[in-house]
Amino acid sequence: MITTLVYGFTIGGILYILSIGLSLTFGSMRIVNFAHALVYTTGAYFLVVALRTLGLGFLPAAAVATVAVLPIAAGIERFVIRRLYGESLDYAIIATYAVLLIGVDLIKWVFGATPIPLSDPIGRDVALFGISFPLYRLLIIVLAISIHGVLYLFFKRTIVGKIVVAGLEDKDAVRSLGIDVDRYFAIVFLVGSGLAALGGVLYAPITSVHPYMGFQVLLISFAVVIVGGMGSLQGTFLASFALGLVISITGRFWGPAAETMVYAVMAVVLIFKPLDV
Amino acid sequence: MTGRLRRIDILLIAGAFLLLLPFLKFQRSTDYIIFCIFVLSFDLIYGYMGRLSFGHMLFLGAGAYGATLFAEHVSPNPFLSVLFAIVAAAAVGALLGPVVVRTTGAAFALINLAFNQVGHFLVLIAFARYTGGEDGMSAVFSKVGFLDFQDKRMMYGFCLACLLLTCWGMKRLTTSPFGILLRMIKENETRVKFLGYDTFRYKWAAYTISAGVAGFAGALSILNYGYVTPSFIDTNRNVEVIFASLIGGAGSIYGSLTGGVVFMAISNYLPTYIPRWEMFLGFGLLLLVFRFRTGIWGALSALEVFRSRREGEGG
Repeated sequence: MITTLVYGFTIGGILYILSIGLSLTFGSMRIVNFAHALVYTTGAYFLVVALRTLGLGFLPAAAVATVAVLPIAAGIERFVIRRLYGESLDYAIIATYAVLLIGVDLIKWVFGATPIPLSDPIGRDVALFGISFPLYRLLIIVLAISIHGVLYLFFKRTIVGKIVVAGLEDKDAVRSLGIDVDRYFAIVFLVGSGLAALGGVLYAPITSVHPYMGFQVLLISFAVVIVGGMGSLQGTFLASFALGLVISITGRFWGPAAETMVYAVMAVVLIFKPLDV
Repeated sequence: MTGRLRRIDILLIAGAFLLLLPFLKFQRSTDYIIFCIFVLSFDLIYGYMGRLSFGHMLFLGAGAYGATLFAEHVSPNPFLSVLFAIVAAAAVGALLGPVVVRTTGAAFALINLAFNQVGHFLVLIAFARYTGGEDGMSAVFSKVGFLDFQDKRMMYGFCLACLLLTCWGMKRLTTSPFGILLRMIKENETRVKFLGYDTFRYKWAAYTISAGVAGFAGALSILNYGYVTPSFIDTNRNVEVIFASLIGGAGSIYGSLTGGVVFMAISNYLPTYIPRWEMFLGFGLLLLVFRFRTGIWGALSALEVFRSRREGEGG
C-alpha cells in the first residue's frame, strides 16, 4: 500500500509540474493551450538528444533540454497565442491543437515513431518504512513540493508575481495603472512552458519517450486544472496529488482503468461544482 | 428565410452528391454522405449553439456499437438496428447532457473529450468481451423486402435519402423558435436567461438531438461497411469533424455539407501524395483560424451578398 502511495505522489508531482503552466495560462490569458503537450514531449526528446547525442550526464542534460525548449515556447506564444488574445476560446483551442498536430508530426519525422526507453538516471533504491523505493521517484516528489514553494513565494513576495496575481484578478485595472500586463503574462507563459518541459524530462525515465506521450498526459493535466480550479496555484497543487493517488490506487486494482478513473472524478467534481468559463 | 427545405435545395444537394459518383466507388460516395450527416450533427451544437465539443466521436461510436450489438444480439433487421442506434446515442447524450451543457467554452470542450476517452476505454478494454476490443466485430444485417444493404447502390440511395431527411430535419429545427433560441444562446446566454427562458433545458435538448443524429451517422457507417472498430470512437479523430465544420463554414447546412465533402476529398487523396498528413491538417487548421474563419460556404455567401448589394446600388 505504501508503494502505491509513493507511486501516486510521484505521478502527482509530475502532474503538478506539468499542470501549473496550463492552469496559469488559462487563468491569465483565458486560453486553453493544447500546445503545452508539445512542449512537454519536446522536453523529453531534447533530453534524449542531450543524453545520447551530446553524451551529457543526466543533470546537465535535463537542464539543457529544459532551456532548449524555451525558444520554441516563446515562438508559439509570439506567433499563435498572442494573436488570439481576447478572441473566442474555440479558436484558441483549435489553433493550439493545430500546433500540437504539427509539432508531433515534426517529431515523428525527425525521431521516428518508435518509443525510446530511458533508464533510471540514479538507479539506487532507498529503504523507507522497511520497503525500498527508487530514489529517483522520491526526488521527484521533493522537487515538485519545492517548486510549489518557490512559485508560492514568487507570487506572494516578488513584484512580478504580484502583478501577475493582480492581473489574474482584474486585468483592466492593472493595465490602467500603466503596467503592460501582457508582457508579464508572457513571462508566466514561459515559466509554465519551462516547467512543462521539465515535467517531460523528469517523466521520460519512468516511462518511454514517444511522440504521443503528450496527448495522454495532457488530458489528465486538463482534469487536474478543472478539478483544482483554473488559475489557482494551491488548487492545482492539491488536485495534482489527489489525482495522482487516484491513478495509482485504481491502477493497483485494475491497471487499464487508471486514467479513466481520473475523468470519472472530474465529472463528479463538475456535477457539484460547475465552473463558468 | 423559410423554415423548409425548398425543392430546389433538395435537387441541389442530391445533384451534388450524384456528381461524386463518376469519381468514386459507391461505397466511398456513401462514406462522404455519412460523414456529412455527422458534420451536420456536430454543427447543431457548434455552429448553432456555439459550443465547441472535442468529443463528438463518442456519439458516432455509441451509434456504431449500438447498431452492431443490436444486430448481433436482438435482430438483424437493419432498420431496427439503426433506430436502436439513434435511441442509444441520444440516451448517452441525454445522460451526459446535464453535466456537460452546464459548462461553456473550454470546459465544455474538455469534458466532452474526457467522456469520449471514457467511452473509448469502455469499448476497448472494459467491455472487450462484448465489443471485440481492438479487433472490433462484424455486423450482419438481413434483407428487408427488396432492400438489400449488401448492394452498394441500394446503400448509396438509402444514405442519400437519409442525408436529405437529416437536412430537412435540421432546417426545420434551426429555423424553428427552438433553433432561434439556440442561436440566441450562442450570442448571449445571460440575456436569454433574463428573458425568462430556462436555457439549460434547451441546451440539453439540442445536445441530445445532436447525439442522436451523430449516432445515426455511426449506424449508417456500420450498415455500409458491416464492421465496427474502436476507431469509430477514437478521441484523436475529433479534429476531423472540427476541421470539416470550419472549412465548410459553421452554422449553415450548406456549409456543413461543403465541409464534409471537402474534408473527405482531402483526406482521401492527400495522404497518397504527401506523407505528412497530420502536419498538413495542422497548418490547414491554423490557416482557417487566422485567415479564413467563415469557411468556404461563408466566403461564397459573403461574395453573393456583396454582389447583390452592388447590383442594388447600381439599380
